[in-house]
Amino acid sequence: MSSEWIGQLRSIEQQFDRERESAADLRSLEEVKNRFLSRKSGLLTLQLQNVRNVPAAERAEFGRIANEIKGRIETALEALQQKFSDADATAALERERLDVTLPGNRRRIGHIHPLTLARQEIEDIFISMGYTVEDGPEVEKTYYNFEALNIPASHPARDPKDTFYVSDDVVLRTHTSPVQVRTMEKMQPPVRIICPGRVYRRDAADATHTPMFHQFECLLVDEGITFSDLKGTLERFHKLYFGEKTETRLRPSFFPFTEPSAEVDVSCVFCGRKGCRVCKHSGWIEVMGSGLVNPRLFEFVKYDASRYTGFAFGGGIERYHALKYGINDIQLYYQNDMRFLEQF
Amino acid sequence: MKISYSWLQEFVDIPVDAQTLGQRITHVGLALESLEERDGGSVLDLDVTTNRPDCLNHLGVAREVRAIYGGPFRKPNFQLKEAAKAASEVFSISIADSELCGRYCGRYIAGVKIGPSPDWLKKRLEAVGVRSINNVADITNYVMMELGHPMHAFDADKLGGRQIIVRRAGLDEKLTTLDGVERALNPSILVIADANKPVALAGIMGGGESEITGSTTKVLLESAYFNPGSIRKTARTLGMTTEASYRFERGADIEMAAFACDRAALLIQELAGGEVLRGMIDVYPGEAKAASVNLRRDRIARVLGAAVDDAVVNEIFERLELKPVQTATGWTVEVPTFRVDLAGEEDLLEEIARHHGFDKFPATLPASRGFGSPLPHESRVRRLRGFLSAAGYSEITTYSFGNEQMEKRFYPDIDPLRLRNPMSEETTILRTSLIPGMLSTLQWNLNRGIRNLQLYELSKVYWNGGERRTLLLGACGNLRMASVHEAPREFDFFALKGDIEELLAGFNTTVRLTTDNIPKYYHPGRFARVGHLAMFGELHPEYAEPFKFRQRVYMAEIDIELLLGSSENRQIEQIPKYPAVKRDFSLLLEKGTQYATVHRTIAGAGISELIRVEPFDRMESGPFPETKYSLSVSVVYQSAERTLTDVEVEGFDKRIIDILEKRLGAHLRK
Repeated sequence: MSSEWIGQLRSIEQQFDRERESAADLRSLEEVKNRFLSRKSGLLTLQLQNVRNVPAAERAEFGRIANEIKGRIETALEALQQKFSDADATAALERERLDVTLPGNRRRIGHIHPLTLARQEIEDIFISMGYTVEDGPEVEKTYYNFEALNIPASHPARDPKDTFYVSDDVVLRTHTSPVQVRTMEKMQPPVRIICPGRVYRRDAADATHTPMFHQFECLLVDEGITFSDLKGTLERFHKLYFGEKTETRLRPSFFPFTEPSAEVDVSCVFCGRKGCRVCKHSGWIEVMGSGLVNPRLFEFVKYDASRYTGFAFGGGIERYHALKYGINDIQLYYQNDMRFLEQF
Repeated sequence: MKISYSWLQEFVDIPVDAQTLGQRITHVGLALESLEERDGGSVLDLDVTTNRPDCLNHLGVAREVRAIYGGPFRKPNFQLKEAAKAASEVFSISIADSELCGRYCGRYIAGVKIGPSPDWLKKRLEAVGVRSINNVADITNYVMMELGHPMHAFDADKLGGRQIIVRRAGLDEKLTTLDGVERALNPSILVIADANKPVALAGIMGGGESEITGSTTKVLLESAYFNPGSIRKTARTLGMTTEASYRFERGADIEMAAFACDRAALLIQELAGGEVLRGMIDVYPGEAKAASVNLRRDRIARVLGAAVDDAVVNEIFERLELKPVQTATGWTVEVPTFRVDLAGEEDLLEEIARHHGFDKFPATLPASRGFGSPLPHESRVRRLRGFLSAAGYSEITTYSFGNEQMEKRFYPDIDPLRLRNPMSEETTILRTSLIPGMLSTLQWNLNRGIRNLQLYELSKVYWNGGERRTLLLGACGNLRMASVHEAPREFDFFALKGDIEELLAGFNTTVRLTTDNIPKYYHPGRFARVGHLAMFGELHPEYAEPFKFRQRVYMAEIDIELLLGSSENRQIEQIPKYPAVKRDFSLLLEKGTQYATVHRTIAGAGISELIRVEPFDRMESGPFPETKYSLSVSVVYQSAERTLTDVEVEGFDKRIIDILEKRLGAHLRK
């Protein structure tokens, strides 16, 4: 049976299928919806109102099909509505699209001076190894800078050509070692200290010298401290500072305040011992001086040399930093050119 | 010290080439600086530390080489032929100051023919950096390079009275040295004199008059020992360093003097002819006693970290020509006079360590002992640096030296610390403030086109009697740069003030501002201080002028120790439970009324619920009389106990408006 009534329903359905194709956005979709489902004038609504004119025999069938079509139309409309509203939201976001490739609006952030960063890093390594940070005056008595370090009055290091003098017995300290003596004077072993700070030598400024620079120096005095402990400590420090692959090598040398004394080399941080310009193709770079504390120093601070031994070592903070970052002119640290500072 | 490889081979067998030797000898303490290949063979340039004058010659270095590789040690061995006539018949030597001259050996050689040296001698000397002069002078240098003992040859005919007197110079004596310079002498200087006058600076340089010349036929050879301290002092006083003084001031070998003298006499006889008069004139008042040093066996492991076999120790000592005698507990070692550096047990331990090899001792870590700690306040300093970085300030590090004239402009009342021997006339003192360094740094960057700067330095300043850390901020140019995102914003007084306020608040310090005691270098209308803690403002144009700044410069000086010492004990403020009410007033005020007065007046209304007062707009002119200005202020009320009612709030408003009107003649703008 395909009555006229039902045929009309089908043709409304077909008309809907045609019109929904042409709906392009939420507004035209609303028009389509109204045309078919509007309470007063919707084509399908009107058909449904005609149900009473449908012969009784067909009425049930008519009702079923009409509801089925209504359901289909509603579902289709909802799907379209969803589709169009998603598209709208997308379009709205699209209108807000930024050119994200423009640079960020950066606030100015300051930079900590590289020598401070290096000092902090070195201090932190030694603090983690049980050392206490100590400091002392930069304007220092010759007794602490020289005599008590086994550097007698006739020693060439005391020449005014190399050392800044304030008076006969006051100098600008030429190394951080006086802090060792001052610390040993005020406490008994165990002593385990690191002293970073400014030191002064009468060198004209060039790529490798400045009349003022920074050192750090460690002193450890206790019972049973050996040359082996010095080696192990330096190895550990260099691995922590330059990286786990770094090797440390000691070479005999001479300093008045240590015996035995050793120059300390690290495997070249640039070529890893393969040999390059920086290490002059030796694979090694000299970084500091070290040694076992000369027992004569203990006489000055009244330590029992038969009971205690110790080691000491010291290096330049500029040198350690410069090696790590490939800086070939240490005057950069004192020019404070922002183009240098902002790299740290 | 330049060392010829082939010359070394005269004394020792070397089983390796020069390059390998250089690397190996570096590890016993003679660091190879460079290796040069010459036509005469390889020349090693070794860095000889100041404690090892015994290695400033080939024989001494050969001894170290032999200690490494073993084998025979061939010291020069010769027989000197002497004439029948005794030297003492024709010449006499005396030492007037035996403290400064411990030994003086002389040889008299007659009939010498001065001339050029043979090629082999010239080459050897040239290879180790010594210029050839004539046969006799070259021989003294050769012996010095061979045995380490500096020598001098006099033309004996030029020595008045046929005698040598080693004495201190007189007050007004003068001597023209070989280099042609006339030296004024004094009694601190030891000289070699003849009967009449000084003829040489002892241990440093000979005199021109008694120099060996082409017509010299009689030579007096000097081989002496001088006190190291005395030579060093004289060399420094006169500003002279010679090969001789270099060795004597480090310590020559007093026992070598006679041997070296004979060695040179022999060579003169061989190469310049003549006859060596019989007998050496050897004046030796300071005869050396062999020193002996004890070494306890257990100290080897206890100090170096690992035990070393007795046999190894004995071998090291013997090869170094130390004379060890084994005892129950270790060794007693007789130290030869050439080893001026060996005086104590630790010195012998070093000999063992360096010749056994530093690499033979294991790397260990000292046992843990307690904990480490940073400097006092270090964590607060790091917090401070963190804040300054976040606020845009970059740290600078400038030299501690200061220009007195410049420093005095800023801190005229500080007695500066003066250096006796400054690097230059520009830097005669240590800085009294961080300001000149900051301004120079701004200038450095501005001159390089970097115009927007916020910097700080946290470092020491100095005066005659002390030093302390302080903090200085310096800024100029734009705070925010012009960009595609926003307009530029200049760094100004209030940007600086805001940073100071935040900084001090971060250290729990109350900011109480005054404008008294304005230092001359600040702009008088753009300055404020917080007691002794901080001073800040714009640099006075007159003070900016020498630096040629074309923009305003701002500075803040902060007493860092005072700041870091501020109390850290505080408790948080509870977060309020009840809402705050914000009210805005636009006030018309008499021009010249400071904001601080307005703020204080509002606070003086005695409203405990008033928690904040903040100005948000200021107009100098507008639809109001010229004598007035407009200031908009917002106030915030809040109670910790309840929500405020409209009636209460209106009451507060009225109290504020009334008190402003009564005290300041302020009106609400309609």
